[in-house]
Amino acid sequence: MSEPAFNHEALLQAVRDLPVDSLTASRRDAANLFVARGFPTVRDEDWKYTDLSNVIEISQQSLQVASAPAAIDEDLLRQTQANLDAHWIVIANGKVLEQHSPGTNIPGVQSGSLQKTDLAIDEPLADLNLALLRDGLKLDICAEFAPDKPLGLLFIDTVENAVASTHARVNISLERNANARIVEAHVSSGPAQHYSNCVLHLDLAEGAVCEYLRLQDRATNHSQTARLNVSLKRDSSLHHGSFDLGGRLTRNDLNVAIQGRNATARFNGLYIVADGQHVDNHTKVDHLVGPAISQQEYRGVLSGHCRAVWNGKAIVHKGADGTDATQANHNLLLSDAAEIDAKPELEIDADDVKCAHGTTVGQLDERALFYLRARGISKPDAKRILTRAFAATIVNTSPISEAHEFLGGQVEERLRTIDDGRQS
Amino acid sequence: MSTESENIEELVNRRYAHGFVTDIASEGLPPGLNEDVVRAISALKEEPEFMLEWRLRAYRQWLEMVEPEWAHVHYPRIDYNSISYYSAPKSDKDRPKSLDEVDPKLLETYDKLGIPLHERARLAGVAVDAVFDSVSVATTFKKKLSEAGVIFCSFSEAVKNHPELVRKYLGTVVPQRDNFFAALNSAVFSDGSFVYIPKGVRCPMELSTYFRINAANTGQFERTLIVADEGSHVSYLEGCTAPMRDENQLHAAVVELVALKDAEIKYSTVQNWYPGDENGVGGIYNFVTKRGDCRGANSKISWTQVETGSAITWKYPSCILRGNNSVGEFYSVAVANNYQQADTGTKMIHIGRNTRSTIVSKGISAGHAQNAYRGLVRVMPQAQGARNHTQCDSLLIGKECGAHTFPYMEIKNPSARIEHEATTSKISADQLFYCRQRGISEEDAVNMIVNGFCKEVFNELPMEFAVEAQALLNVSLEGAVG
Repeated sequence: MSEPAFNHEALLQAVRDLPVDSLTASRRDAANLFVARGFPTVRDEDWKYTDLSNVIEISQQSLQVASAPAAIDEDLLRQTQANLDAHWIVIANGKVLEQHSPGTNIPGVQSGSLQKTDLAIDEPLADLNLALLRDGLKLDICAEFAPDKPLGLLFIDTVENAVASTHARVNISLERNANARIVEAHVSSGPAQHYSNCVLHLDLAEGAVCEYLRLQDRATNHSQTARLNVSLKRDSSLHHGSFDLGGRLTRNDLNVAIQGRNATARFNGLYIVADGQHVDNHTKVDHLVGPAISQQEYRGVLSGHCRAVWNGKAIVHKGADGTDATQANHNLLLSDAAEIDAKPELEIDADDVKCAHGTTVGQLDERALFYLRARGISKPDAKRILTRAFAATIVNTSPISEAHEFLGGQVEERLRTIDDGRQS
Repeated sequence: MSTESENIEELVNRRYAHGFVTDIASEGLPPGLNEDVVRAISALKEEPEFMLEWRLRAYRQWLEMVEPEWAHVHYPRIDYNSISYYSAPKSDKDRPKSLDEVDPKLLETYDKLGIPLHERARLAGVAVDAVFDSVSVATTFKKKLSEAGVIFCSFSEAVKNHPELVRKYLGTVVPQRDNFFAALNSAVFSDGSFVYIPKGVRCPMELSTYFRINAANTGQFERTLIVADEGSHVSYLEGCTAPMRDENQLHAAVVELVALKDAEIKYSTVQNWYPGDENGVGGIYNFVTKRGDCRGANSKISWTQVETGSAITWKYPSCILRGNNSVGEFYSVAVANNYQQADTGTKMIHIGRNTRSTIVSKGISAGHAQNAYRGLVRVMPQAQGARNHTQCDSLLIGKECGAHTFPYMEIKNPSARIEHEATTSKISADQLFYCRQRGISEEDAVNMIVNGFCKEVFNELPMEFAVEAQALLNVSLEGAVG
């Protein structure tokens, strides 16, 4: 397979053209690193099932078109903020929008710019992100932070007629014993193609507790790669929920490093993938010390001509005794042209561990359908009930309980579209 | 746990029981690989022209290929020019007419292995095609088999006597350029076994080949081809031990199975090649390509393997489920101790309708060993109603070892039902305590627990193999309690 050519010189020039600030040196280093390695290809094991050709094309074109960013889609912004109640920080087309970001000024949160030391992530797309980063954000959450509603990070991208790409980066640290609830939402609109590259870092100090909900609902001609690197110190706890409902090509990398004893990482995800979409979830948990717990469950509903990828990796390093790691991935295939590629991996170098994973791929259970039909429920209704129940497991156990109703509604809407497609 | 650790040490220090070298002068080619070597091998074996061309094509393709590095194993680069690609026992020229004429030293070798060839063959009703280094020296029970119309002979004989069959099926399951090691094997393979079961015949006995690597620095490149014609049935046993050597020996075998309509092939392996000493010095590099093709409807291929030997194992017995309603099975016990590394698993490619596959893999790691399961289940868009169940369990014994699981699932048909389960655990103190309290020694308790862990796979082995496998497992692991 041949990737579209990417003009590295244009990238280096674009990096040189960015205004000079404290990140300039880091940007140039990152650009050189990226040029040395290039975009990942399907020959890279981690990208075996996800072809970035379209992303490369968009990146290439957006470097050539030096147009000013489009005005923000205010309707979409208001709509998203109304749906989920939070202290929002809005990052629009890669820049923090001060007037819409009350979240940076609430007690217990200190916001600032990224420093050189916050930036090291050894991965090509993270290098590209840093090379073209306009505005990084750093949030420190103190133990006193106790707001009435979650802290919200809203990534909103608007494009008009020109192809565009945006690069955003946020580092969040929770101080010792801090307790935070965070919502991260990705939305976009506009007729042209768009690529968003987000890199986030979440650091939980000793005893910190974090509930984190990520919702991706981009326009279906927009693609995204998103990375969240998490480090967990002693006694800290993360509950992460991930919902992928939109986007053309979506790739999520969730890397969790368990660095302290008795840390807990729990993450669930739901992807509803319809015609023309591609959703790839890669998760990796490094158990560096034990005892510690990691649990993950991802579920997917696939319809139309689409592809979903799930790759869960649990690595138990030498000495991480007392590790308890479980992974589960369940997929419902509702159409002939849907494809799922699942790969649950375990790498274990310690013996006092409990690790398990399970993966299933299938259709709705014929017996369950029969049970419902025997009770007078029509076939489409029976299918709907079972599909809803399949997805509800993730919705009902996701973090930030006040968002459940909204999430449930969103999921319902997607499934209804699938039902309509199935009947026509 | 101090008594336990003493116990472990004592047992870990146990030397490889089958380590010895039979002193037979070998006649072979000097180390090195080029077209002349390929031609020489073909000439030595008096092969027809088409085989030489086939080998040369493979060799030229091999030259363009690169050695794979994706497996979870580490070893120094192999210098393919330092290996001798052909060796044969001296007494090759005047082949023995019967076992009595066989070089007594050879027979002694088999005795040391605990399998007196003729006795074992007669008592167990097993025909043995013994491959000592690279040339077959004894074949038994030919008559009974030929009465049934079964062809069971060395590969070189098959090339001479049944060229049409060899030509028709060779390389159709594992093409020459399938992978680096398969291409190498296709170019330089020395000998192996050939089995053809005619239409509707149930092979009257279990077929068995005892592989053995002997001469130092000789790569062993076996080629096995089993064809089960329509409605036939065959059970094939393969087992191996190798003498103790300090230099790594390369073994790159290719096994091809073809099951036509309604045919069934059961292929069982007990692999106990020299795994290297307790410091990881020496041992066999075992890079094997094994693949079965369920070509006809309702055919079945079943792989059962017990892997306890080799310094490095790189082996994925696979099934291509092409025929409708065909069945693929893979049962495996892989034991890695000391510094052994195993990267093994299977591939199930579902192409036909209502194809079913079962994968049961049990990995046991002890000492400093690394054991990985790597499997692929692929359901093609046309494979309506495909069914797979995969279970891979790992048992860790000790703090320095590793157990890894890399299962790939690629599903392109919505009617597929795929299940994958994996667990990792250790022998718990509770289990041991329970047994000890009932007067069972620690060693016996561990054996019992490990055997219980592997029982699902042992149940699939033919009777005589199951006994051997169980004993082998006990020797490999006794007392290694975590």
